[in-house]
Amino acid sequence: MTDVRAPEADPFESAAEPDERGTPNRDPASGALGFTDWLVWGWRQLTSMRIALVLLFLLALGSVPGSMLPQEGTDPAGVQQYYTSHPALAPLLNHLGLFNVFAAPWFAAIYLLLFASLVGCVVPRTFRLVGSARTLPPRAPRYLTRLPLSAEYPAALDPARAAEVAATVLAGHGFRLRRPADDGEYWLSAEKGYLREVGNLLFHLALLGVLVSVALGGLFGYKADRLLVQGTTFADTQSALDEWYPGRLVTAADLGPFTMTLNQFDASYITSGEQRGQPSSFDAQVSYTTHPGGPALAGNIAVNRPLSVDGAKVYLIGHGYAPIFKVTDARGQVVYNQPTPFISGASGNFLSQGVVKVPDAQPEQLGFTGVFVPTAVEIGGVLQSAFPAADNPAVSLIAYAGNLGENSGVPQSVYQLNTAGMHQLTADPQLLLPGQSLKLPDGQGTLTFTGYVPWVSLTITHDPGQLPALICGIAALGGLLLSFMVRRRRVFVRARASGPAPAGTDGVPSGVHSTVQIGGLTRTDASGGFEAEFAVLAAELRSAHDQAAANRQPEGE
Amino acid sequence: MPVNLALGHISNDFLIAALVLYSLSVVAFAGDFAFGRPRRAASTARGQQAQERAAALATVGAASAASDGPVSAGVGRPGSPAVGGAGAGSAAAPPDSMPEVALPPLRAIGQAGRWVQAGIALSAVGVVAHTTAVVTRGLAVHRAPWGNMYEFVTALTCVAAIFFLFVMIRYRAWALGVFVMGAVVVALGLAETLIYTAAGQLVPALQSYWLDIHVTAMTLACGIFFVAAVLGVVYLAKDRYTKRVAAGRAEPGNGIMRRLPSIEQIDRLTYRTVMFGFPVWTFGVIAGAIWADQAWGRYWGWDPVETWAFITWVVYAAFLHARATAGWRGRRAQYIQLLGFASLCFNILVVQVFITGLHSYAGVS
Repeated sequence: MTDVRAPEADPFESAAEPDERGTPNRDPASGALGFTDWLVWGWRQLTSMRIALVLLFLLALGSVPGSMLPQEGTDPAGVQQYYTSHPALAPLLNHLGLFNVFAAPWFAAIYLLLFASLVGCVVPRTFRLVGSARTLPPRAPRYLTRLPLSAEYPAALDPARAAEVAATVLAGHGFRLRRPADDGEYWLSAEKGYLREVGNLLFHLALLGVLVSVALGGLFGYKADRLLVQGTTFADTQSALDEWYPGRLVTAADLGPFTMTLNQFDASYITSGEQRGQPSSFDAQVSYTTHPGGPALAGNIAVNRPLSVDGAKVYLIGHGYAPIFKVTDARGQVVYNQPTPFISGASGNFLSQGVVKVPDAQPEQLGFTGVFVPTAVEIGGVLQSAFPAADNPAVSLIAYAGNLGENSGVPQSVYQLNTAGMHQLTADPQLLLPGQSLKLPDGQGTLTFTGYVPWVSLTITHDPGQLPALICGIAALGGLLLSFMVRRRRVFVRARASGPAPAGTDGVPSGVHSTVQIGGLTRTDASGGFEAEFAVLAAELRSAHDQAAANRQPEGE
Repeated sequence: MPVNLALGHISNDFLIAALVLYSLSVVAFAGDFAFGRPRRAASTARGQQAQERAAALATVGAASAASDGPVSAGVGRPGSPAVGGAGAGSAAAPPDSMPEVALPPLRAIGQAGRWVQAGIALSAVGVVAHTTAVVTRGLAVHRAPWGNMYEFVTALTCVAAIFFLFVMIRYRAWALGVFVMGAVVVALGLAETLIYTAAGQLVPALQSYWLDIHVTAMTLACGIFFVAAVLGVVYLAKDRYTKRVAAGRAEPGNGIMRRLPSIEQIDRLTYRTVMFGFPVWTFGVIAGAIWADQAWGRYWGWDPVETWAFITWVVYAAFLHARATAGWRGRRAQYIQLLGFASLCFNILVVQVFITGLHSYAGVS
């Protein structure tokens, strides 16, 4: 376990195999070392392949809790639940950052060390690659048959001509050639496959690029959520958004000032078979302006088909129903007439819950809690939804009167009714079909369920790191393919005079004949396959030599 | 469009046919172990040739040290006159040694023996039936036929069978047939009995051509990694046997072990297989990120399945690096590779089914 390179078997001595890194050869324990020596030793350790492997394992291992425990980023409700169910363990886990693994300092430490190790390996290798691209391949060894792969055959050509022919063949295969300066020897060094190292470097640098892109998105990107009822409009400003998660360097001023109106939303569902009730398509038709006062453009948003507006992307994330209620108070005045988004719960088929708050009602403020059922059926006296589409819509409400408590200073959810200051007006939930009204007792007013419209929840994201991440990802893949498919290899050819053949025998012309030796080697051809290429190349060289000899024959006679 | 039930039934029939054919091919490959003529598999022969070559080189080294003249040591076919080194340039016969160009696949199969030929033929017909089953399923449901767990395993094993057939013929690794095809039979059989799901449509989140690209790439990569995992197990078995023989704790000359390719051959084959699968997996992850971006508004969100795809990627990357690191080659590298496959299986079988996330589409209830 000392050095990764085989001592003398690898004549590719100039540099180690791309994926191989030298292991530290100086051990601080072996003698007194200064601070700098320790630093050098540490850096060598860090950039050694073994440490890189350990860091890779730590990265994999560190990701595991991120998938096993609920995470703040993806499932904040799950984290709350975990706190409730494991009150003793949860604070400890939180202290270790296990509820936010991928933003935890220790996780960052692993990947930053890994990338430091990568840089420490990649940068020197880049210099070596540039160096080897600028120097010619080494001289051909004297005895090529000692190389891992070799071939030897006679050629009816003089050595100079034989070398010439071999050069033509190898150049035709895109090999980089080196030929002797002096005339005494006839040999050829050919090298090919520099792209392997290029690919390897590209892959590792592109991974760095992915990391940078992700950081870019975290700093300059944002994400926002907005619930939009059909027929209404919103502007992309901070106050108009329901939720707003800016990146670290993003302010409200960075929001694109576009506006968007939901004209129509259609959802269709599978109506029969085992998958009855499963959604089959969603489509939101919107019109939007990219800047205030700009021309209105039409667009569609569907699942998997976001709309790009003004540098941001708008996604369709969810949908639901907003029943429309008209409320007249005791004075006979219409104090409420608008769609109210109800949120579907876990009970399925869009049985949705919501509240109606009527602060302007006189003499008392009015409030209603209830459910909206798109396809109402009664099973055992319980109102349920049989299908997610609004085939038989109904609402069931309980009415309250009193003080909504909206001026108490405590922020309220629009989906919850604070009944502390209110008294119930109706004993049982009152079922209403579209067009039906609920007359409140004591002449407190009337609520009419006039109809319903759908709503959609949109997510607006802006991520400047997205395109760089994609480009880096593709570059990494390209680099990977290059480094896997290209093999760095050298082929040497040596032609030696094998003495003049006797003239006239076997019709071979007189003249100097040669023995051609071919040797081949590849830099730790881990995946193999060079033998086959070498065999084909050797056969090709031999037939080229035979061909050249046959062409020379007329000259000789 | 509604599901074409008749076509769905045809698909099921073809799948059963494939399962039967694969089982028979396993029997045939096993028959080669039991009754086949003893032969030196081309790959093994090549390994032995390399050893002979090394021996020849050693003698040549000694010879060249003794005599000053140029030594031309032929290292071609065993038995060719050049082996062992012909004297100096003045020798009567000019040195002549050429490396062997590999036999074309069909001739190699021709020399492999009856049982192997039967095994290859049966698995080839099985692959045709299997592919037909996958394609008709796709036609029946009007989408790429890997939208739920059952379909995914069916397609994955199809890829594994096709890929292995290619590897077996390309590298003349007949002796591996019984293991890889056996594993395919087990996986397909389990899918058929445990997680069978009738042909059906997909929820809108799964209707995207990026889904097709993403899941296709993942299916391909899983099929390839499946083959690599079986090779890894064979490697460990042979390695263990070799070590035990060396330690005198096992009888040398085990018929099954002798027929297997050499440790180095299996190691290389595994490495090549992972090298083939890794870029496909990488592409699958990128395609998945693009899909995630279109469906959920972010390209990477550490969803459990994403996290495990990342873990799998990291572990396979560690395997590729370990193979080039002293002290990690061989056994340890194979363990890493199997760990990678384990995390892949964990992702498919546990994370997608039991851990809530955005990928909970397995369709297993």
